[in-house]
Amino acid sequence: MEKVVWTKRLGACPRLLVVLIPLLLAACAGQPPAKVDDDEIDTRVRAPASEDSAGVQVYSLQNPAVKELTAQAVVAERAGELDKASGYLERALRIEPRDPQLLQQMAEIKLQTADYQQALSFAERSYDIGPRVGEICSRNWRTISVAKEHLDDASGANDAEKRATRCMNTRPKRY
Amino acid sequence: MARKAVKSKSKSRKSRSKRTSRQKPGLFRRLFRLLMLLAGLAIGIGVPWTVWLDIQVRGEFEGRIWDVPSRVYARPLSLYSGKPVSKSSLLLELKASGYRQVTNASVPGTYSVNGSQFDINRRAFIFEDGSKPATRFRLQLRSGSVGDLVAVSGSEDPGLVRLDPAEIASIYPLHDEDRTLVALKDAPELLVTGLQAVEDRQFKHHHGVAFRSIARAFVANIRAGKAVQGGSTLTQQLVKNYFLNSERTLVRKANEAIMAVLLELHYDKAQILEAYVNEVYLGQQGKHAIHGFGRASEFYFDRSLQDLEPQHIALLVGLVRGASLYNPRRNPERALKRRNQVLDIFEVTGLLTENEVKKAKGRPLGVTSKPRSGGSRYPAFVDLVRRQLKRDYQSSDLSSEGLKIFTTLAPSEQEYAQQAVSKGLDDLKQRGLPADLQSAIVLADVASGEVRALVSDRVAGRTGFNRALDARRQIGSVIKPLVYLLALEHVDDYNLITPVKDEPLSLRQPDGKLWSPENYDHKSHGELPLMDALVHSYNQATVQVGLSVGVANLIRKIKQLGIAVEVPAVPSTLLGAVELTPIEVAQMFQSLAAGGYSVPLRSVTAVLTPQGELLSRYPLRFMPLENREAIALLNFALTRVVEEGTAQALHGLLGNNTVIAGKTGTTNERRDSWFVGYTRDRVAVSWVGLDDNRPASVTGANAAMRIWARLFRSLPIEGLDLRMPDGANFVWVDKQQQALTDPSCPGAEQIPFIEGSEPQKKTQCLKNQKGKNKESLWRKWFGRKD
Repeated sequence: MEKVVWTKRLGACPRLLVVLIPLLLAACAGQPPAKVDDDEIDTRVRAPASEDSAGVQVYSLQNPAVKELTAQAVVAERAGELDKASGYLERALRIEPRDPQLLQQMAEIKLQTADYQQALSFAERSYDIGPRVGEICSRNWRTISVAKEHLDDASGANDAEKRATRCMNTRPKRY
Repeated sequence: MARKAVKSKSKSRKSRSKRTSRQKPGLFRRLFRLLMLLAGLAIGIGVPWTVWLDIQVRGEFEGRIWDVPSRVYARPLSLYSGKPVSKSSLLLELKASGYRQVTNASVPGTYSVNGSQFDINRRAFIFEDGSKPATRFRLQLRSGSVGDLVAVSGSEDPGLVRLDPAEIASIYPLHDEDRTLVALKDAPELLVTGLQAVEDRQFKHHHGVAFRSIARAFVANIRAGKAVQGGSTLTQQLVKNYFLNSERTLVRKANEAIMAVLLELHYDKAQILEAYVNEVYLGQQGKHAIHGFGRASEFYFDRSLQDLEPQHIALLVGLVRGASLYNPRRNPERALKRRNQVLDIFEVTGLLTENEVKKAKGRPLGVTSKPRSGGSRYPAFVDLVRRQLKRDYQSSDLSSEGLKIFTTLAPSEQEYAQQAVSKGLDDLKQRGLPADLQSAIVLADVASGEVRALVSDRVAGRTGFNRALDARRQIGSVIKPLVYLLALEHVDDYNLITPVKDEPLSLRQPDGKLWSPENYDHKSHGELPLMDALVHSYNQATVQVGLSVGVANLIRKIKQLGIAVEVPAVPSTLLGAVELTPIEVAQMFQSLAAGGYSVPLRSVTAVLTPQGELLSRYPLRFMPLENREAIALLNFALTRVVEEGTAQALHGLLGNNTVIAGKTGTTNERRDSWFVGYTRDRVAVSWVGLDDNRPASVTGANAAMRIWARLFRSLPIEGLDLRMPDGANFVWVDKQQQALTDPSCPGAEQIPFIEGSEPQKKTQCLKNQKGKNKESLWRKWFGRKD
């Protein structure tokens, strides 16, 4: 009974369609850009970096407090609780403000929350402060590349991708 | 017409008897009409008037309804193995968080100390990121840092423990006044009964106005020939407090009486009494009024209301009649008399025994010499918190009750900063500087922009002018680093050793006058490397460089560093004829200290609902600036300011050689002294000057830098990391010759250069070396300064 009435209504009011269709189109157009999810981070940032580095690991020793907090951050990140993960990383950064791993981890979280400017900032800072070689260097630049891509800087993204491969010059620069 | 004729006829024909018999009804009728008119007026005006008064008084009453205030917390102290912390700062933090020192820390909220061994029983607490149960642990302090953390209860040793944060204020974010609320059930009984005994014995029985009291007072006043007694009830006094007005006109009194009756109609005795206890005017602190017994107790005795003794309560109750008249600090004798009078009333009404009263009378007033400030020991910092909350939140969010506001303050560092100012200024006085100097300090974390300490007054805890946030003063030489930063960004024209001219110059100002800046030693130093001009803060060279990079660009740079202030586009801006506040200066230099990663300085990290749910968080966000290589070069130069320039006394004051970047600032006629300095993790600005801006004989080095050093002596500090970013390298050069050189050559120094801007020339010494030692060429040219 209702259906009949409904279709009758629809038939009687083509104007409704005229209004609906543009609205639907607008809704589609206005969708926010796709976020970078955890999978994409693995495939575009972490895995290639780990592959490249095979052998050159330049990690700073983490103090136990930072270890505890980063472990909690990883758990939160896996559970999709990105703001919580950020919170743990911020606490860790208060303890070790210049730990490049923390900064890079934060950059990756920012990619996942689609905060590309901040992903860029954290990755750049991690690079500046870090060893500038090895796996973390590679992660830095790949993050920068993904972020720039999402910020519509295709050439910047390309340059960053290339730069990532140079991280594997196994001899660290001595300045 | 006929009537008139009849009237006139009747008038002319009236006999006296007839007139009198007719007058009575006429008079009566007129009186009656008059009464009706008055009644009509009374109702016509009186009713709306009363309704209006009703709206007013209820508005006031409910407007002040005792929302639970929002609690403001300092940052929680994180403890972990390796954390640098001194014994004194740990004790300060425990004290600030309300921990009691005991012999056996078996109860949460206590700790015991044995030499450098601490046993701490941490309370349960809902932190920003969730709740934690109580936990007991031990730690040993070893050479200035925490050793291992050991669990006491047999559970796993914690890697990281946070102390529950100090509660630093209770605020109503939307109002400007701090109040210390007292619920009626928490108020001391003596206060509640004593108030009634002294001010309103009929309180329980009357309906707002006590006619008996009024009559009694009336009689007493007539007898005495002047006003000696007030017949006002507590309710009437409450109304009077709402509309504090010294006029005691009849109209005012009538209004208050009506409103008192209306209040009693709407609210019960307990509500009215509670409102009274929290509302009554009891004193003044500058422009802040002290309302309520809770605040008054802190203000006069630096104690909470629950900790007061009978003679204290008597004093406060006595103040109700005249807070200025019986001010115990201004008029101690009169206050004492009044207090004893009140104690007598307590005795007569059976609230205290004869012995108790005798004992109480024998006690001194007990008032502290310095009033404690608006509910917080850190009014300057709490002021910053308020402003940032207002700026970043909607009123609708902040009007919620009982919010938990987590901030960035570090109580121990705040304490050190305040001492640095208070003791520092006293020391300056000993050295012959003006006795009324004032000062401000802003201390923040470089990487996060979190404000750790804010000092705005030489007197701790005094509420008044917030100098750290509002003292807008010329910054003088503190601007120079920005001028040289601009120069260094012009890679083709300038590097750190480019020769610049420190020579006399004259510029015609827009007003026609000639401006001829001089150096502080009244000498000109000729041609010298750019770096040296900054290190020695030479004015003439700075103006030369500044004119070449352009004042407009300097103004743009200031904006870029986060400061939105109108700056005049005139040459004197190059020498700091720009007015900024200490926090603005701190903001500018935070970016430089962080190697070009700008973070807005902030005081709030999160706001939680009373139930502990996250309402909002201020996440860490920074903005990388362009030309970070130039910033790295500048930071190097600023470490030289401390090594060999205008701040060379700093290492002596600190007692160590930690690598620090700094800049002194002195303004015209020595009105202002500035020092901004940063280590790897902290940046601080200190300012010294006179509030009325008269010449103060202060220089950057002799005043502000001393205070900065006092603070940093108490802080664990790491030297600045001078590692260059990609695109800049340390190179061995000879400054004077503007040439590359070998480390073994005389005059050789390692100085950073942006790639491509190094000198191409080689010194003769290097040329000779080159011949000798070809293999280590790579090493020599690109060696790092360790």
